[in-house]
Amino acid sequence: MNAERTPERSLEHPIIWIAVIAGSLGSILLLKAVAWLAFPLILAVVLYYLVQPLLQRLQLAGVTPAQALGIFLGAAIILTLIFSLTLLPSMLSSLANFQDQIPTYWDRLQGVIRDNLLALEGRFAFAKNARLADSLQEQLNLFLAGAGKEYVADVALFLLHWLPSLLLVPFLTFFFLRDGTAFHRLVLRAVPNAFFEKTLLLFDRMDQQMRAYFRGMFGLTMLDTVSLGLGLWFLGHGAGIFGFWDAMALGLICAVFAWVPYIGSGLGGLLAVATVAVKAPQSSGLILAVVILFLGVRLLDEFLYTPITVGRALRMHPLITVMMIFSGGMLGGVYGLLLAMPLLGVFTVLGQMFAEIWFDPRLRARYHARGMLEKQLASKDLGI
Amino acid sequence: MDLTTLFRAPPMDPLLKIVSGVPIFRECNRMELEALKLHLHERHFLAGEIVFDEGEEGEGMYVVIRGKLRANRKGRLGKKVLGVIQPGESFGEMALLGSGPRMATVVAEEDSTVLAMFRPELVALAQARPRLGFKIAMGVALVLELRLRRVAEGHSPEPSST
Repeated sequence: MNAERTPERSLEHPIIWIAVIAGSLGSILLLKAVAWLAFPLILAVVLYYLVQPLLQRLQLAGVTPAQALGIFLGAAIILTLIFSLTLLPSMLSSLANFQDQIPTYWDRLQGVIRDNLLALEGRFAFAKNARLADSLQEQLNLFLAGAGKEYVADVALFLLHWLPSLLLVPFLTFFFLRDGTAFHRLVLRAVPNAFFEKTLLLFDRMDQQMRAYFRGMFGLTMLDTVSLGLGLWFLGHGAGIFGFWDAMALGLICAVFAWVPYIGSGLGGLLAVATVAVKAPQSSGLILAVVILFLGVRLLDEFLYTPITVGRALRMHPLITVMMIFSGGMLGGVYGLLLAMPLLGVFTVLGQMFAEIWFDPRLRARYHARGMLEKQLASKDLGI
Repeated sequence: MDLTTLFRAPPMDPLLKIVSGVPIFRECNRMELEALKLHLHERHFLAGEIVFDEGEEGEGMYVVIRGKLRANRKGRLGKKVLGVIQPGESFGEMALLGSGPRMATVVAEEDSTVLAMFRPELVALAQARPRLGFKIAMGVALVLELRLRRVAEGHSPEPSST
């Protein structure tokens, strides 16, 4: 083995790590600036990574890439049709029933909040002085009468703004799936011979990082689902509020909400509290227990589950994982929270591979030698 | 119209024809070779250009399609030429077993075209199609056995033992 070859040492170069973190955070800012395009692009990449292993399996079983894509599209269309014809009508009718019951649920929820605030007023003087229950009622009435309508308009405008970009998702996914391999080969063809093997390795590692991240997210969702589901079942089954599968289903919904860090888990918590409040309006202790459960799972999620699933999948130190999530959130809001970890994973691989190539004088010498050979050939051909 | 042509398989890709003659892939059937084709990367080297360097981590093997290459190894008395690699021959197979250091430097003696096969892609292929994986593993074992025999008999290993 050559003594000059020391790529492992070059990986520890601080400039590389600074560049990796700067690159990840810079990309968050860039993606935030082009959010309208970045959002469907990210969703399409996620879908690509979910579907691509399936297509690869079909191809390795002897089916051509075009046939594999055709089989997948055919199956997707058939499943959509079956869903539209069988499950969709019953789901829509359930949704219509739920819509009819919204005012009742809303009244019950308001009643629960008011009762609890009145209880607080009875116990604490500062709450009584602040007239918490009446103030909240007034604010809610004002919101529903005025600002609420504006919010509805804002939400409608927001949806109108985002819907066309969401329509891009299947379109982009289709082209990623159809032309991904060709694009991959096109990029590789442009890579100089000296760096070819290292670049192949880079692609392979990046692919593994992305897969590991999505696997990590899946694991995180499962851990959240089980923790929340078991907690909700334990708290609610005695009072007849939740059966085991109801609790698990609610846990799963909340875990999916938690894909949007912080905001998502807050929304999930509200949903669970509202469900308990509506089903058992008199059990204020139970509502408090659900709030505590959510806070507990939130803490577990942040400091245990995320570092051991997504963090471990990306082979990151838990401290870096937490710091990157916070930095991403500060710079890019929800986008930053969502993208910090996958981007850090991709930039880490890029940084490592760049270091391996850049700090290897023999690879660079080979690259320059090829350039000189090309020059000599051109000179000979031109007779100069 | 000759109806029998409908039942005849289309002619095999010339590149695959060459790959099918390489000892490691000799037992593979046509369908397996077609699956293998998805993982072949064609590279062109100028005369005098290094394909890989002794001591670097090997990530894949190569099959020569066109041209001629030379395998060298550093010895105590300077460079030792292990031999010349011709079209239809393979080199760098040891990298299929792990990313250990390359045992020799391979240089193109004339402008050459090779097909590169990357280890992680071949491993994924073998995992998805164990039968094919077994054939490739047996092929590698066969090549190594032949080389060990040559060394045991006092011959130098073939140039492709890189």
